[in-house]
Amino acid sequence: MTRLIVRRVLWTIPVILLVILMTFLLMRQIEGNPFRTSERAIPASIQANLEAKFGLDDPWWKQYVRYVKGVATFDLGPSLVLRNRDVNDIVREHFPPSLELGALAMLFALVFGIPLGLLAALRANKWPDYTAMFVANVGFAVPSFLIATLLIYFFAVRWGDIFDIPTSGWTTWQSKILPTIALGLGPMAYFARLTRGSVLETLQQDYIRTARAKGLRRRRVVVVHTLRNSLIPVVTAAGPILGFLITGSFVIEQIFAIPGIGRYYVTAVTGRDYSVVMGLTVLLAMIVIVANMVVDILYGILDPRTREAR
Amino acid sequence: MSSTSSGERTQFPGLRRLKERRYLRLPTPPPPTPTASGDAGAPIRSSSLWRDAWYRYLRNRAAVIAGIAFLALLAYCVIWPIVSPYDPNQVDFSQANDSPSLAHPLGTDQFGRDLFTRTALGGRVSIGIGFAATLVILAIGVTYGAIAGFLGGFVDNALMRFLDALYGLPYLPFAIIILAIFGGGSFWTMVIALSIASWFTTARIVRGQIITLKENDYVRAAHAVGARWLRILARHLLPNTLGVLVIAVFLELPGVILGEAFLSFIGLGISPPDASWGSMAQDGYRAYRVAPHIIIVPSIAIAWLILCANFIADGLRDALDPRTRET
Repeated sequence: MTRLIVRRVLWTIPVILLVILMTFLLMRQIEGNPFRTSERAIPASIQANLEAKFGLDDPWWKQYVRYVKGVATFDLGPSLVLRNRDVNDIVREHFPPSLELGALAMLFALVFGIPLGLLAALRANKWPDYTAMFVANVGFAVPSFLIATLLIYFFAVRWGDIFDIPTSGWTTWQSKILPTIALGLGPMAYFARLTRGSVLETLQQDYIRTARAKGLRRRRVVVVHTLRNSLIPVVTAAGPILGFLITGSFVIEQIFAIPGIGRYYVTAVTGRDYSVVMGLTVLLAMIVIVANMVVDILYGILDPRTREAR
Repeated sequence: MSSTSSGERTQFPGLRRLKERRYLRLPTPPPPTPTASGDAGAPIRSSSLWRDAWYRYLRNRAAVIAGIAFLALLAYCVIWPIVSPYDPNQVDFSQANDSPSLAHPLGTDQFGRDLFTRTALGGRVSIGIGFAATLVILAIGVTYGAIAGFLGGFVDNALMRFLDALYGLPYLPFAIIILAIFGGGSFWTMVIALSIASWFTTARIVRGQIITLKENDYVRAAHAVGARWLRILARHLLPNTLGVLVIAVFLELPGVILGEAFLSFIGLGISPPDASWGSMAQDGYRAYRVAPHIIIVPSIAIAWLILCANFIADGLRDALDPRTRET
């Protein structure tokens, strides 16, 4: 097991290098210039000086090596557009709200999604199942911007007098309720569907029949024997869900005016702020890579069969 | 039969297991399906795979309803703009933000344009991008997967390690960068942006299929009688992956449609006067306080399509399950 973990952790290093390289090469293809906007052209000599200052005149592989060194020491470089701010500042400022939003949405999804799926599976093909799966299917299909807009419309515009929930910013706990629900509903539906399928599968196993046959109480069979074994594929879902949350946060942060990474990202791309886009992309990719690593290791711990296959 | 017999050589199983399950339904044994081969006495009726699958699909009520709803939506998007009495780009401020009425069944937007007509038009763009991107995903995925699976050995190993590295990366940031490279959203730049980080699962599935198929006797026989590799690939291997690919179309479609909607919603996608469901939703969002129906209409169209695609994919997978076929 230790060998597996060490190997898995070491494997992330070339992956991260490759992803940085890809992002790096892609970024170089973008037309435009961070120093010159269409309104104000700057003299060629100043342009050259600025490029020299940020090392943009070096050959690309030199820049790449320098960037990787920077990432290894947690230094993502200066911002090209906002002078006297570097990417680390921007991350420090915009990352916590995004992280908190993502964590809250994930929590929401787990807390409501797993029981919903369990309920559906235990009452398979009866009305609780149909209701739960209807909710899950609709929650999965409806785009989050509609959910967000409807939440604002009803809780702030229609019933604003009753609820008094702020619909923008990320300061008080009240302001965090609606974004969490809007972002978490899709993952919740995903967890519910996954849990249902997994529980149904587990219920057919021989050990469940044994547990029942030897007279264990239903509650114990469900919680200890069924749910625990069913949650293994649910753990695996953390990867896709994380991608889902990142994608969703771009929209949700925009709608609720949350000063997070997703919102800042779009600004940085349109402003040609290479180093910020690079830094944020690499950061997002690294989060996903590390999360996938954790999931794989957990999978190995939870399900010994995958260990033996090696 | 476990999944590992298909030459599974990946190092780390977690996430991939899950994604592949959606294609192949790995752990559950296939339900016994009554096929023509069952009764011994009856004359053997030739029954093709696709015919069997078709009958199995028709038995799945949810999938049939989803299929009809899907075709209805397609027909509406293709036909309605032609026969509609309204010009979808005709601005008329005297009836801006109208709620649904007899004259405008879905109401009008803030420029007084008929939403029932514009939704059909936006659907052409959204669904068009969806299918085009899905086809690109399949093309890349099949090529990559077929090369890896067919050549095997060192090449396979290298290609799969590369895929492992990219697997699960969030596609939206990369899609945004690609849009920036091409200088903004148009039909084809959207197609490229949405497909470029989404073909990994398809490639893996195709590779797995090819490796399994390669062990079949008819492939060995073809090899033994001296068929060239191109013939084996084109004649014996690729046609047998078709089932998985048909399922893949409906599994990839929702992600692409949603991706387009998100990009257009944050203002990076299709720009006016052209409409897609995403850009219509963006319009609607600007006016949600006075006319919430403007954002609801295109969003429901998106949800309709995604729901249909999910149920169709499930139905197709049950009908075409590769392992049901072997029995």
